[in-house]
Amino acid sequence: MKTRFLKWCLMAVSLSVIPLASAYAADCVHKVGGLAPLSAPGSVVGGEAMRDAMLLAERDINAAGGVLGCDLEVVITDTEGLPEKATAMMEKLITQDGVVAVGGGYHSSVGVASKDVANARGIPVVFAETWNDTITGDKQKYIFRIAPLSSWASGVIWQFAAQAPGVKKVAIVTENTDYGIPAAKECEVGLGSKGISSVTFGVDIGTQDFAGIVERVKAENPDYIIVLLTGEAGFNFTQQAADAGTGPQDIMFHANQAGLESKAWWENVPDGRLAFMARIGVPETMYSASALKFANDYKAKTGKTGVESFALEAYDSIGILAQAINEAGSTNGNAIVNALENISYDGVLGRIYFPYGSKKDPSADGKGNEWWHQWPDVAITMVQYQKEGEPSNTMTIVYPESYKTGEPEYVD
Amino acid sequence: MEFAPIFWWTTLWLLVWGIVGSIGTRRIYLAKDLDTSNAVLMGSLVGASLGPIGLLFLWLKTPEASKRLIILPSLLTVGIIMTAFALADPQNNCVSNSSFVLSQITNGLIIGIIYGLMALGLTLIFSILGVVSFSHGEFYMIGGMITYYVTVVWFPGVSPVVGILIACLATFILGAVFERLFLTPMYDGRIERPVEYGILVTFGLAFTLMYFVQAVAGSNPVKAKRFFDFPRIRFPSKEDPWLIKTSRGNMELFDTISISNPRFIAAVISILVLLGLLYFLYKTWTGKALRAVSQDREAAAIAGINPHRMNMLAFAMGGMIAALSGATLVQAFSWLPHVGLIPAMRSFVIVVLGGLGSLPGAFFGGIIIGLVEAAGTGCVPDPQKASSYIPAYGMIVLTLTLLLRPTGLMGRRFASGTHGKL
Repeated sequence: MKTRFLKWCLMAVSLSVIPLASAYAADCVHKVGGLAPLSAPGSVVGGEAMRDAMLLAERDINAAGGVLGCDLEVVITDTEGLPEKATAMMEKLITQDGVVAVGGGYHSSVGVASKDVANARGIPVVFAETWNDTITGDKQKYIFRIAPLSSWASGVIWQFAAQAPGVKKVAIVTENTDYGIPAAKECEVGLGSKGISSVTFGVDIGTQDFAGIVERVKAENPDYIIVLLTGEAGFNFTQQAADAGTGPQDIMFHANQAGLESKAWWENVPDGRLAFMARIGVPETMYSASALKFANDYKAKTGKTGVESFALEAYDSIGILAQAINEAGSTNGNAIVNALENISYDGVLGRIYFPYGSKKDPSADGKGNEWWHQWPDVAITMVQYQKEGEPSNTMTIVYPESYKTGEPEYVD
Repeated sequence: MEFAPIFWWTTLWLLVWGIVGSIGTRRIYLAKDLDTSNAVLMGSLVGASLGPIGLLFLWLKTPEASKRLIILPSLLTVGIIMTAFALADPQNNCVSNSSFVLSQITNGLIIGIIYGLMALGLTLIFSILGVVSFSHGEFYMIGGMITYYVTVVWFPGVSPVVGILIACLATFILGAVFERLFLTPMYDGRIERPVEYGILVTFGLAFTLMYFVQAVAGSNPVKAKRFFDFPRIRFPSKEDPWLIKTSRGNMELFDTISISNPRFIAAVISILVLLGLLYFLYKTWTGKALRAVSQDREAAAIAGINPHRMNMLAFAMGGMIAALSGATLVQAFSWLPHVGLIPAMRSFVIVVLGGLGSLPGAFFGGIIIGLVEAAGTGCVPDPQKASSYIPAYGMIVLTLTLLLRPTGLMGRRFASGTHGKL
């Protein structure tokens, strides 16, 4: 009788401990930072898309078992697109929130400023959408990037402009930031190599009234305009240029990729038909199964009709960190870096890996320092809104040939 | 710049003789026991425009600093700068392209009128309450946001006039309620430092409004549709419309001046509001009472005007005027919760330039800043820098003006300063 009673007691205790143990496991959390511009003067359109994508990544990773048996928590922080805010936020993420790695990042100036903080504190960062070459060009141990290099992305922009019919002079309107200045310079040099002259107008981030600049651009009589302004500044310039008769329907016009958020684009730039934009990632028709699933989830969450490239990049920046932590078997910064240098991650952008790092210097293949910890296979296409009000996922891909879905519609 | 030394040597000449004129004239007027209030400004302008000969004449005759002796040398100085610039950079669009120049002047005037309207609200508040409202930019933002929500989200297709009127009404009530709740402690001695209190409490309102809108409406840029499309006009003839040619979004005058629809509509509304405001201030009893309080609160109270009621009216009207500027521009610019920061800073520059508390000063200050910004953006030879320095152009004019005339262009020496108290 006594033995039976003890057995029952033991069973009861065991049964009560099992849920307690599982609850204990679910309670542990590993935090990862997520940088996004959620206030002006940053590109809020881009920031909100990245935030939504990173939170979807958090949900999917936790549904698949989390990291190291614990839940993953993405701590989203607002950089406002400002370097000084970015360094402060990176400090806060590391010292107060206790993140073990950081993903996201939209503005280059944010990447340039905050990378030193993370590197000094030994926290790995996978930048999602910061193009400036120096971000990886400093060959810092803890800094990785899955966005294209500025020199590379700008190359696609100017090469497309150079092959457009009758282009002899290009006006470049750029923001005075770590993204805009080098990108404009690369376009100038590239166009110059093709015998095309260019003139660059620099403006401060957050500029609203472009009337004077539009008149100057008009006075230059360009054949093609390249706008390297992020966020609402790009919208403001494009629509004000259109109002003044120099918009996308009057002259060949490259607009910033913030316009890939089609609802915001058509509301802010109602005369934006025929604008060209650069898009990162393969077209939706070529999406993998995981990318299609993400695209459907993202559209359901946001109510959008398409997925912006920066949303794809943000999702993968968190996903690749989660895989690296699992493969490292630890949240130690050095272990994560080691895992990232050896990683092969099947993300929504494609298979992501980093061929150059501490084991192989970029110079071994005759490449510049900017290829350090840089994913080399980013797909960049030029797309065009050919119908008024059309969603970005049906935009015509006009360049390069390998991805082309239609002919570009040029303005006479 | 092709012949840069011409421009820089001329600028140096102007500066040197301007400084000599300002210092020398003040000393000579003081020695002769004459009024020196405008002598520094007059001396510097005469020195800059006419050099040593003009100064010799001025110092010998020591005439009274009349408007003529200030305006004529000012125009001459501007003329010298323009001539030197034209000689130094003959290929510049501002020299060789008359169509460009006219377009820039028109753009400067249009945006200047809108700036002026917004600054008018700020100076109205200051002239009555003696408070610089740091929430002015947020009233501007709220005005645009309400107009957007009324015309695009809540009642799509409703006339923009309805949206503007609702924005005006809402901000007027908001301003009145805020003044009653938070600014009245300034008037009855409950606050030891009313100036600092006024600044802090309006700062608080600014942040509250900004983040409230961000929480409710989000931070994505929004924009109202063009209020009205231009009708298709070809005048004098369809074949040769050299006088006026319009499309839905643009108007071209004399085949040279290009004006975009949203800015034109915003400027027209601003002018109408300005005229209405002038009528209100100068022809109605309430308007005269407001001006009386701004000039002398005690005398106004003795005459039967309730200064406390005027405080409320001034703050509510000031905020409403800012909101009206925003309501007219939400069709021209993309709108965000932070959109008011730059216009608010510009308004501060304008009211200080025009003279704190001066209503005409705010209006003319706005036009001056609009024109100077247009000139800077259009004429600075390096396109990379021309548009980067937009905020700096106004600051240069402000600094020079304050150096020579600390009260601003049309300011009074003791404009308000009673902070709403009797």
